[in-house]
Amino acid sequence: MVQARLESLPVIALSSAIGLFLCSLANALSRATLAPSPLIYWLGLLIIALPIFFRLSSTKPSYRERLGLVLLLGLALYGVKVVHDSILFTFSDEYIHAFNVHNIEKYDHLYHFNPAIPTSPFYPGLEGATSALTMLTGASTYVCGTILIGVARLVQMAALFFLFARLSGSARGAGLGVAVYTGTTNFLFWGAQFSYESLSLPLVVVVLMAFVEREEAPASTRAAWAVPIVLGILAITITHHLSSYALAVIFVALAVLYRVMKFEKPNPWPFAVLAVAAALGWLLIAARSTTGYLFPVLEEAVKAIWKTAAGESAPRTLFHQASTAAETVAATPLPARAVALLAVAVLGIISLVGLRQVWRRERGRPLVLLFCAFTVAFFVALMLRFAPAAWETGNRAGGYFFIGLAFVCIYGAAELLRRGPKLERRRLLLTGALGIVLVGGAISGWPWDIQLARPLRASAEGGTIESEPLALAEFAGKRLDGSRFAAPESDARVLLTPGGQVAFGGQGPDVEDIVDEPELRSWQLPLLESHHLPFVVADRRNISEDTLRGEYFAVPGQYGTDLREKGVVHKFSRIPVGRVWHSGRIVLFNLRDRP
Amino acid sequence: MRGHRDLRRACVAAVACALVAALVPLEIVRLAAALPLALFLPGYAIIAAAFGSREPAPPKMITLSVATSLMVLVLSTFVLNIFPFGLETASWAVLLPLIVIAASRGAALRRGRPQRRKSRRPSLPRPSTGSVALGVAALAIAVAALVLAQKPLPAGEAAGFTALWMLPTDSREDVVAVGVVSNQRHSASYRLRVSLGKSQSKNYRVKLDPGEERVYEVDVPPRASGRTHVVASLYREQRPGRLYRRVTSWLPRQTTFP
Repeated sequence: MVQARLESLPVIALSSAIGLFLCSLANALSRATLAPSPLIYWLGLLIIALPIFFRLSSTKPSYRERLGLVLLLGLALYGVKVVHDSILFTFSDEYIHAFNVHNIEKYDHLYHFNPAIPTSPFYPGLEGATSALTMLTGASTYVCGTILIGVARLVQMAALFFLFARLSGSARGAGLGVAVYTGTTNFLFWGAQFSYESLSLPLVVVVLMAFVEREEAPASTRAAWAVPIVLGILAITITHHLSSYALAVIFVALAVLYRVMKFEKPNPWPFAVLAVAAALGWLLIAARSTTGYLFPVLEEAVKAIWKTAAGESAPRTLFHQASTAAETVAATPLPARAVALLAVAVLGIISLVGLRQVWRRERGRPLVLLFCAFTVAFFVALMLRFAPAAWETGNRAGGYFFIGLAFVCIYGAAELLRRGPKLERRRLLLTGALGIVLVGGAISGWPWDIQLARPLRASAEGGTIESEPLALAEFAGKRLDGSRFAAPESDARVLLTPGGQVAFGGQGPDVEDIVDEPELRSWQLPLLESHHLPFVVADRRNISEDTLRGEYFAVPGQYGTDLREKGVVHKFSRIPVGRVWHSGRIVLFNLRDRP
Repeated sequence: MRGHRDLRRACVAAVACALVAALVPLEIVRLAAALPLALFLPGYAIIAAAFGSREPAPPKMITLSVATSLMVLVLSTFVLNIFPFGLETASWAVLLPLIVIAASRGAALRRGRPQRRKSRRPSLPRPSTGSVALGVAALAIAVAALVLAQKPLPAGEAAGFTALWMLPTDSREDVVAVGVVSNQRHSASYRLRVSLGKSQSKNYRVKLDPGEERVYEVDVPPRASGRTHVVASLYREQRPGRLYRRVTSWLPRQTTFP
């Protein structure tokens, strides 16, 4: 009786809320520079998830209760991201997409230039949808974007549940499959940020769900199920390049499998043709710059794999930042690394058992076979983490492969939960295993030193103060409307949003060397002139090229205090040119202001 | 649509929500109206049109409605972009109700003559008082978590700073605005000196609380030829001999690069 009450939905909802509060508290203490124990945060995460995992492993809940539980899980874990930096978008890609929304609002039309990722305006699905909300509500991009991604996250959880339930024939299995899916490395943070893939991936899951429902539906409603599939394919095409290619590959693979296996259901080749034609058509007609953006990354990844495999270059060290961070960041502690590796081991064991069961019972179904291939591909993609330039490709691909892996794990979990003695203990064991998968995924998916928030705004004697880059961005937004900047990459992101300026950073054009080098070289001023960049941000902070860490307050003894040579500022003073803004470590120069 | 109460309600709701979102100035009211208009009603009407009288079970219907609404929003941006007026409040407030009305009409035609349909309202058990109390407590704690996350907190170890900036106030460039912004954790006092060419200068005493900004407008004396070198220098009150911040400008500014 007591156990039944403890496992009831309201009690579980309460524990989720308490867990979310603990995560928020840990972030708040971290923003207050009190260096809280990360255990508070991890405890909060487990308090959210474990009661739900335990309940999902029971035979008692109804179909609807399981659906409610996975929605609660999705919402609460999305809340963990929201409470991380809940005043502004702060993840590196969020600035870019928020800038696109800003441009749509400003010009009332799509496809306006984005200096950070020039390809991104040509995939305007997320930004267009968000701008619809900002225009209709008058609310900020942050509020509307957070709501939109939250809704997409709930849709993803529900669609995954329906997909797994229909394919496996078990609501209990479906709930556990969704629980496994939350352990994918990008689920907690990367996949919840305001970025195009956070909308397109849920839509991919909806299309797969509708496809499976269509397979099982009577002939009279098959055409109806085609509606969300077709709309979904088209919407994904103009939302995110990789998702549209992934969906096209999935449908082509299914069409081939249906043909080869002589499967009795109608071959999905029309969807394959539509997905391929839409993706290719959009690439060739509207988004040609995608090839220049995406393919060099893939080429580098292939080269890196080859070189690492051939022993020509050293393998990447796991749990080390492969970022542009010039400042040394705290390494992931040994226990956390152990949990992350244990999570992979747990997934390996459950999926191995699952693959055996799936092969025995379900190998006659093309989509199930494809999911088995995804499972194998996931572990192959994990190997890419050892290749320096390929780890990100592997990490991003893993998000799609994990759908298949989570499905296969349903069968592994079912083996563990078969009727018999000590079922409760086995439920506890599975709950613990799922907890390890969730925490391990979160550790692998986001740098250890920024799992907790850093201060961006702070209160002081009744007022509110801002970090140096944010103060510069606010100044630029208020006083330099729509100007063009060259800046270290992190400063450039903040100048995009909330600054609302056209800010170039990184290497296309090579602004990175201009702002990083202490000497002014002969090519630098002509390059700035040729790209019409009169405003140059000279930032002595080493961390200013780091798009994950550069926008926060420096905290002496903890982070943000390493400095570049004084020459990065002096070289512009010596020209001489006008200094517009000076905040200590950041100086804004105007190259058109000179004697 | 006579007899199809859900479709009629969807149409009325879409028009009402669009009007509220477009005309009411209160953000929270507009948000409450815009969310169903953008994230539920178009999808609901389209799915109803697609399935006719063979709608999926309510949980799937709701999921499909929301998902299809997201797809409609994405695809509608593409459609609105074709027109000269583009994506603006009015175009969204017209397009979305139009989609809902057109799809509802299609759904009514596909459903055919209305029959007394079985109530599809899910039979949910009546929650106990304890369950309601727990739910309310959960909601309150979750809201507290969000509020805590939004609140700026004192960051005792963070390195504060004060910024100095200078810009001409308009295109004539005969007046400059010099601003001092404090992002220090404590109140602080400064001396600001603005020199205009070689002979003139103005001095100010500046006391700033955390988060406070002071802006001074300084006339730049006209020159027959050449440019006036304007330099604003900031000194901390307790270290008046040591330059703390400096910004410079040559007015009127040039339009070419060095």
